[in-house]
Amino acid sequence: MQEHQISKADFEACMKCNICTEVCPMYEVNPLYQGPKKSGPDAERYRLKDPAFFDSNLKFCLNCKRCETACPSGVKVADIIQMAKLKYSSSTHPLRDTALSSTDLVGSVASVFAPAVNFALEQEVASKAMGLLGVDSHSVFPKYASEKFVTWFRRNARKSQDSFGSQVNYFHGCYVNYNNPQQGKDLVKILNACNVGVKLMKGEKCCGVAMMANGFRDRAAANAASNVEMFSKVDGPILCTSSTCAFTMRQEYPEVLGVDNSKVKDSIMLATKWLFEEVESGRIRLAFRQDFRMKVVYHIPCHLQRLGWQMYSIALMRMIPGLTLAVPEQECCGIAGTFGFKKEYAGYSRKIGSKLFENLRSANPQVVATDCETCRFQIEMGTPFTVMHPLAILAEALDIEITKELNETDN
Amino acid sequence: MKYDICIIGGGMSGTKAGVALLSRKKRASVCILSAGRTLNPTSREEFKRLGGDIFDNCRAVSSVMGENRVQAVVTDNDIRVEASAFVLSTGKFFSRGLLSDMDGVYEPVFGADVEFEADRSAWSSEDFFDPQPFESFGVRTEGSRVLKDGNVIENLYACGEILCGVVDVDKSVREVCRNIR
Repeated sequence: MQEHQISKADFEACMKCNICTEVCPMYEVNPLYQGPKKSGPDAERYRLKDPAFFDSNLKFCLNCKRCETACPSGVKVADIIQMAKLKYSSSTHPLRDTALSSTDLVGSVASVFAPAVNFALEQEVASKAMGLLGVDSHSVFPKYASEKFVTWFRRNARKSQDSFGSQVNYFHGCYVNYNNPQQGKDLVKILNACNVGVKLMKGEKCCGVAMMANGFRDRAAANAASNVEMFSKVDGPILCTSSTCAFTMRQEYPEVLGVDNSKVKDSIMLATKWLFEEVESGRIRLAFRQDFRMKVVYHIPCHLQRLGWQMYSIALMRMIPGLTLAVPEQECCGIAGTFGFKKEYAGYSRKIGSKLFENLRSANPQVVATDCETCRFQIEMGTPFTVMHPLAILAEALDIEITKELNETDN
Repeated sequence: MKYDICIIGGGMSGTKAGVALLSRKKRASVCILSAGRTLNPTSREEFKRLGGDIFDNCRAVSSVMGENRVQAVVTDNDIRVEASAFVLSTGKFFSRGLLSDMDGVYEPVFGADVEFEADRSAWSSEDFFDPQPFESFGVRTEGSRVLKDGNVIENLYACGEILCGVVDVDKSVREVCRNIR
């Protein structure tokens, strides 16, 4: 009977158990939001009859996907809500939403003037001006790097990459390129030490998640089509360090944007998954510094949990001898990409995050590890802790010389 | 991913089996593949406290078989878990541990032997308050080990609602723990 099902996102399969409402972080703090079941499968029946039934409070959905993670019947609750939002709603702050969603365009301009932009973002005048645009004045924006990751790569790494035993492709994403090139450098450092070369792909575009979240369906779909086309031209695995980029390109492209990625989907994966599997199969060997000590709490990003690959980051960190790791129950940080930067939502965003902040404070680690860049912004805004990507921790703990020797002898 | 014991299904019986196994075998590495949300936070937390790993949002969809043995299970998001023993605790129809169509009832991960009425019209009773025959459909076992094509799979055990007949969940969990060496 499943074959004859015609609706998208399996919404008929919903049996109204409400477990999605139970795990929805927005429903918990905001009485105006009706929760995923009502906003998704329930209201979809009405919307199909008449678009006038569209409820503008769907704007509160974070698209964190916890509802889908919880659903026992495989209903893509958040996809239903996303598609309804993209179809029926219009932006209340078009200028701000365009700016926030254009992570690549804004990034490439800002990184040219990085010192000035970073200085300006710290000034009170700037936060007031942004307040007028609809950006929350308490938000701390990520800094822009003066040298983009791709520029660094071209100048310092590209030439040597062919000399390694094998090659992988790296989808760096906007955050690594404009805000935190170090994360990309760390990956190159780890993989090169393992005798693996890194290749960047020609014409990489923003994965489009911020555009989708801000209602720009067509722009997101254009980026998606272009990225899928680019992936189909390369051989070997396509690694991401951002859990949200990977999630978007694997799952949201076909399901929300209708862009077919079936030919490349299996190659798109997280760098943590790929690296762990190489190590487990013995193709790569890692050696760690004896003097490395670190107390880490790992925060599982919601989108990583939706991918179901959180265990790879955990398993990699467990390999490091001097590292003590705690993994509390997964909580949503509340930022949801650009959502938490918006004036009208920032209060909810912080309220959702407070549970996570409390957990982190009581664990009192040296470092909070997380794979998601926006979770990182939120944790940095809400707690005093240093936040690092699991691979950044790995890069710091790795004994590069011995790792190089271990992996050379094999070839 | 490699573990000593891999439990498939993170519901009531799966998490209870996890806690029971880790309490008995303190050095064993045990993981649970859990699709969807676990409804029993107490045994979930206890399992984690004892050192177990929970793979949240990972649904086992297929298995790699050797000579009457399970070598690995593969999840819907492409995770391969190898273990020396597996516990099947995926529940009945609601959790999709059992699937049905007009012709029969199936266990999707291993294709295990399932006991059900051949006559489709005898699956349910029209009176809602009658005992419903489909409630006792489930996987066949011998000494808590799962049968496939009439043969015992040596390292696959089952507990909880997925079993056929009238199920005593706690008893089936205890039996699995006793039988896994």
